[in-house]
Amino acid sequence: MENEQLEENFKLCTRFLDVTYVNNKTGAEVIALQNINLSIIDGEFICIVGPSGCGKTTFLNTVVGLLKPSKGEILLDQQKIDGPGKDRAMVFQNPSLLPWRTVLENVLYGVELLKQVTAEKKKEAKEFIEMVGLKGYENHYPHELSGGMQQRVNLARALTLNPSLILLDEPFSALDAQTREFMQGELLRIWEETKKTSLFITHQIDEAVFLADRIFVFGARPGRVVEVVDVDIPRPRDLHVKRSPEFLEVVDHIWSIIEQESSKQGFDNKEK
Amino acid sequence: MTKGTIQLTQSKHKIKKAKKIKKEKKSFFISVASVLIFLLLWELASQNEWINPLFISSPIEIAQAAVLMVQEISFWENVEVSGYEFVAGFVLAILIGIPIGVLSGWNANFNAVVNPFISGLYVTPKVALLPVIIIAFGIGPASKIVIVFLMAFFPIVMSAQKAMLTLDQNLIKAARTFNASEFQIFKTIALPSTVPFLLNGIRLGIGQGLIAVVVGELFASTAGIGYQLTSNGQNLQTDRMFVGVLVITITGIILTSLLGIIERRFSSWKPENS
Repeated sequence: MENEQLEENFKLCTRFLDVTYVNNKTGAEVIALQNINLSIIDGEFICIVGPSGCGKTTFLNTVVGLLKPSKGEILLDQQKIDGPGKDRAMVFQNPSLLPWRTVLENVLYGVELLKQVTAEKKKEAKEFIEMVGLKGYENHYPHELSGGMQQRVNLARALTLNPSLILLDEPFSALDAQTREFMQGELLRIWEETKKTSLFITHQIDEAVFLADRIFVFGARPGRVVEVVDVDIPRPRDLHVKRSPEFLEVVDHIWSIIEQESSKQGFDNKEK
Repeated sequence: MTKGTIQLTQSKHKIKKAKKIKKEKKSFFISVASVLIFLLLWELASQNEWINPLFISSPIEIAQAAVLMVQEISFWENVEVSGYEFVAGFVLAILIGIPIGVLSGWNANFNAVVNPFISGLYVTPKVALLPVIIIAFGIGPASKIVIVFLMAFFPIVMSAQKAMLTLDQNLIKAARTFNASEFQIFKTIALPSTVPFLLNGIRLGIGQGLIAVVVGELFASTAGIGYQLTSNGQNLQTDRMFVGVLVITITGIILTSLLGIIERRFSSWKPENS
């Protein structure tokens, strides 16, 4: 296990991380995440999959700093995470673009909140807009863009912050199947160009296998890591990979873990 | 994502726009015809005495009266008094209403303080307070300013409040992950979100404020369009009375269309069909 290595080698580490929250209705304490120990190397693409209720989103919200761990700690570049910071940027499930701002103004929004808008940053923002394939749309408003294009803006906004770590919270789940496949390819292309450490959450196993270097499979009640799966499919990958036997083998393997996990928990994750 | 597709979508936009203009033109002509037919029927009803002309005057008589009245000094004095009362009361309603509405939507404690009064007074017919207002502020412009303020204030406050309560929580969450301060969230998300709601509140406020001027002046006054209306009515000068009504109507139309122009400027980011 990578726990044996020195912490300095890692981009992101979580150590004995517990997150609990109080249920608003019952007042009972719920353990959302229990004893999460993860280590991510610089430049790695990590996916987290698991049944609904396994605490994937809670984990991401804790890493981004919106939630506080009740035990343990998270280290990013050897610094303890305590609240949101400019070293992390999130790509949201919902595009979350300001409707009264143009594409360029939206991409600059994160930088603007940090009061770092400079001519150079603007140039960078335009470069990222081009990288995500939206050149010529800088002055369009979000309502003039399709869902996939809005998610490209969402991604460009995160990249413009030049973060250490990019967090992606099921960014393609609201897109239609065809656009989703296409965007997965686009995301990999952009990742190859930027080599940003990425933490991607999804409930779609094939999406995770296609994108990730390693996949953390989470189990539910309480949320914890069940298995870490290495994906040894060579890069660069294109969409044809999805039909190769090695790809399907990894998908099957993860399916069986999740199935086992679900039956052990006595509930069927397809319910939701 | 190539240049070709961009041009294609732009030319599509143009075709859509041209179609829209054609449609707008057509409905404009229908509206004009509808008004002209109404005026014609009115004139006929009056001349043939289908309805007693004393009640309804006639478009031609009203036009003749209008030509005479705009040459009278007293008419312009009345317009000035009413205009002053309306503008002063309305500006006060905006200056006080928007901050209170925005603050009470943003801060739960402040909302708890002011909300009982706002929701209570909102449903109270403000004209019921006129006798007291006249006693307190006299029969001069001051009492009218107060009633205009009271009637225009509530639609504006309520719209600001509502705007703040319907903020997009996804946007706020996004801003928080970008390390935004509460003030930054307020400035970059909350305030811009309120604009369409506020404009709507102001539009309702204009209608209420115009009612307030006239009712206030009808109740007790020494000058103003409402005052003139009453005295014309009492002297059975229906044509002159209708000119007064027309002045108020035209004012309302001008103000709301000015607002429409502002609205279009501020909401170029909105889909066209909304």
